[in-house]
Amino acid sequence: MRINWQLRILNLKIVYYGPALSGKTTNLEQIYKSVDPQRRSDLVSLKTNEDRTLYFDFLQLELGKISGLTPQIQLYTVPGQAYYEASRRIVLRGADGVVFVADSDVRQMRANVESWQSMHQHLASFGPSQAALPIVVQFNKRDLRSAMPVPIMSQLLKLNGHPCFEAVAISGQGVLPTLKAITKSVVSQIQRELA
Amino acid sequence: MDTHLNQETYRLRCGVAVYAEQHKAFEQLLTEALTQIPANFVFLADVAGQVILAKGEHKAVNLVMLGSLVAGDLAASQEIARLTSQFQDYQIVLREGANVNTFITEAGQYLVLLVQVDHDIPLGWARMIVKQVGQRLGQVMEGTETAVGQQPTLTFGHSDSNLSELFDEALDDLWGET
Repeated sequence: MRINWQLRILNLKIVYYGPALSGKTTNLEQIYKSVDPQRRSDLVSLKTNEDRTLYFDFLQLELGKISGLTPQIQLYTVPGQAYYEASRRIVLRGADGVVFVADSDVRQMRANVESWQSMHQHLASFGPSQAALPIVVQFNKRDLRSAMPVPIMSQLLKLNGHPCFEAVAISGQGVLPTLKAITKSVVSQIQRELA
Repeated sequence: MDTHLNQETYRLRCGVAVYAEQHKAFEQLLTEALTQIPANFVFLADVAGQVILAKGEHKAVNLVMLGSLVAGDLAASQEIARLTSQFQDYQIVLREGANVNTFITEAGQYLVLLVQVDHDIPLGWARMIVKQVGQRLGQVMEGTETAVGQQPTLTFGHSDSNLSELFDEALDDLWGET
């Protein structure tokens, strides 16, 4: 969390993390399409020639004033491909909350677990405060015939009370509830830290 | 939706805060850099990409996008330095262009500074000023932490559930406006 008292801006950084092609960028694209252009930035996408995320996607949302401050939510995605581990670590640093986008395709379970574990390793390496970061899990691509049942995915990821949401991000389903849930978790965490 | 701070009873214990005095000091330092070098454009953001200040020719620049990219650029350069065991404080990234040279430097552990200068400004001179300004910006940012007791503190003035609801409603508003 960052706060600029002069500009009265409260800034939150939320990172969408997950394995390759799980739908992280699609989440941001749907948010971008759904929000009034006056209340969001342009979508920054650093992509490879093959249209895959090279470094990160970025989108900033500006909420109405709350407690005299204007909250701005910065949304970042990480590159999902395995060899961009260092880039993922960079983007994850300083996050106030994480949305883990899991791919429901039954063939992607190993990738989900590896990504989930690597995310926790990165967070732990940033210190104790980051290890306790709010995390929301989105089970994306629920429209696939090969979608793994959610209870099994939860078990595989060893989820421990994290808020979970089913989504079909490509059609926008589940995108806003996920965003609202992570924002709520981040705000609650900040309040706990302030208390 | 606009509620106000009721009381200032809680201290900000996480993240980074920029106070009014610091903001003014940043403004002064950036103005000095702009005239002293002289530079075409100076830009200050935090390491997460949040825009703090811009001075000079930037009417056509999307500052929000620039903030995220500059922060990403510096973070990648720092990581490259770490991986190759060349990390030092206040390292500067220089991009030489045909007409304009661009410097990107960390300004303490929380800020990142971008400075663009015409190609005919001596690189050594520009680099020296950029480095000095970066260090002074970092000192302003970090020096005030010691006097944090005299600074405004953050409270939302709402119970936990109310505040979450306010954010919920704000996000709904955002979604529903299209």
